[in-house]
Amino acid sequence: MATASETTLVTTHNESGTKWWTRFLDPSERTLGVLLLMPAALLLTLIIVYPVCRLIWTSFQNLSLTSGVPATFAGLENYSLMLEDPVFWETTWNTVLITLITVPGALLVGLALALMANLPFNVKWPVRLSLLIPWALPLSFAGLIFAWFFHSEYGVVNDVLRRIGIEGVIWFNSANWAFAAICLTIIWKTSSFMALIILAGLQTIPRSLYEAADVDGAGRLRQFFEITLPLLKPAIVVALIFRTITALQTFDIPFTMTRGGPGTSTATLAMYIHQNTVDFLDLGYGSALAVVMFALSMGVTAVYLRMIRAKG
Amino acid sequence: MSHSTTANRSLFSGKPLRILIGFILVVNGMFPALWILFTSLKTEAELTVKPITWLPHAPTIANYLRAFTDQPLLLFLFNSFMVAILSTALTLFISVLAAYALARLQLRGRDLILSAIIAVSTFPLVTLLVPLFEIMRALGLLNTWVALILPYTVLSLPVCTLILVSFFEGIPRDLENSAMIDGCTRIGALFKVVVPLSAPGVFTAGILAFVNAWDEFLLALSFNSNPSLRTLPVGITLYQGEFAFPWPVISAALVVGIVPVAVLIVIFQERVVSGLTSGGIKG
Repeated sequence: MATASETTLVTTHNESGTKWWTRFLDPSERTLGVLLLMPAALLLTLIIVYPVCRLIWTSFQNLSLTSGVPATFAGLENYSLMLEDPVFWETTWNTVLITLITVPGALLVGLALALMANLPFNVKWPVRLSLLIPWALPLSFAGLIFAWFFHSEYGVVNDVLRRIGIEGVIWFNSANWAFAAICLTIIWKTSSFMALIILAGLQTIPRSLYEAADVDGAGRLRQFFEITLPLLKPAIVVALIFRTITALQTFDIPFTMTRGGPGTSTATLAMYIHQNTVDFLDLGYGSALAVVMFALSMGVTAVYLRMIRAKG
Repeated sequence: MSHSTTANRSLFSGKPLRILIGFILVVNGMFPALWILFTSLKTEAELTVKPITWLPHAPTIANYLRAFTDQPLLLFLFNSFMVAILSTALTLFISVLAAYALARLQLRGRDLILSAIIAVSTFPLVTLLVPLFEIMRALGLLNTWVALILPYTVLSLPVCTLILVSFFEGIPRDLENSAMIDGCTRIGALFKVVVPLSAPGVFTAGILAFVNAWDEFLLALSFNSNPSLRTLPVGITLYQGEFAFPWPVISAALVVGIVPVAVLIVIFQERVVSGLTSGGIKG
């Protein structure tokens, strides 16, 4: 660097008490912005952008690591194979069904929990913890704990049923009961997060609205449907979208509870992707399956964006 | 304060009913963890008594000893802890920088970047199992902590960034400016003034990142098959044999795995709730 420009830098910057080299540590807004956002951008490129491109590319390839044969272009072969694969249809259907059951289920249970938790309790921490613990519990732990709950011989569920005079079932021997046990577990695990979000929404509703409704003679139920629910809607919509997208990725709970059994009756699409990728090392087919899940999630996100835009 | 605004508007308000409702809430939230604790204290013999007992009759810690000797539970804990701590540190570092840029600088693409961050938060990471597996394999990162740390960082980056943006926006610019007049660079001011003043926010974001990493199962199961690198959620599934499920031992291992996060949650409950409900749902 030329001495002349150094001198000018020193003189101009000495006025504000800084040295010339701070110019490099104190760049313009724009350069600074680029620098600060760079690590995030690099990480997202490595972990999301490049993998997405790679995923789509691999789904058109014959790529199995067990054969040792280099990848060859397969066109739509993986996809046509998929359409004729009954396990693909079964796991996709299971995933969609789990989503359709557990998302509204978690919403209803979460709404009930939030309304209950919003009562004026003298001591608040037990209630707060009761909503936080299920959220913080790993999904895989919840799966194991509930597998033990639903144990046919020594499980607490059948024990309680027996006490109230109902003969329990062998939950994990029947496709339907195993599926029901999985859905109940997912609803229990996810409803408390829903409740926390809804509770936060409830606490922002101004009291004056209810007072005005009281003056107008509106009953409690009517207030709930005409004040509480509409004002909770934004919070609920966002929570629902997140929940739907995570429900489409369901893996941990069925994996730890049933390993997809009996047969493949409780296996999900994520489990089938995992099996093809990690167990069979069939990366081409695993990718094609993942593209389907990706499309499902994008569909949900598109609905989400449309809703936000409709809100204005 | 804000709690009572709608509280007495509820459909139920009698005191006995309130106690009953509180009881229902606590049972719903705590019972599974309590039941596992009871199971972990029972002897094998007590477990196979019918009808089953609820409270352990002769509490024993034998299952805990077996939990640590049947599988390297301490190693699983160590792996989980290191992966969670390192990914939390990386997440915080990257999101502090990004959040500062979004909160303070006049960037033209600011709204676009914020939307991109929200889009990433809804991204189904599971679908990237194959390419991430390939990338980690190509980089020789399978069976290393890094294979998990990088995706976990992406998992928590959006929510942490959003939390930090809202905290940074609350810090008066004057404080930063006076630090800069005192000879601090802008980056220096960020780490010496803005971050310390946003400590509650940084902390909240950190807890969320830690819990996210501590809980993750699928990637840990897929990328780290080497027994010595297994994290806790993956390791715990190993206690079950082909046909045998040593439930008291599994329960003991689960209790050991729940305790660290439970302690974190108990101490920082209010912070966690505020983080979940502010950063998590910004739409």
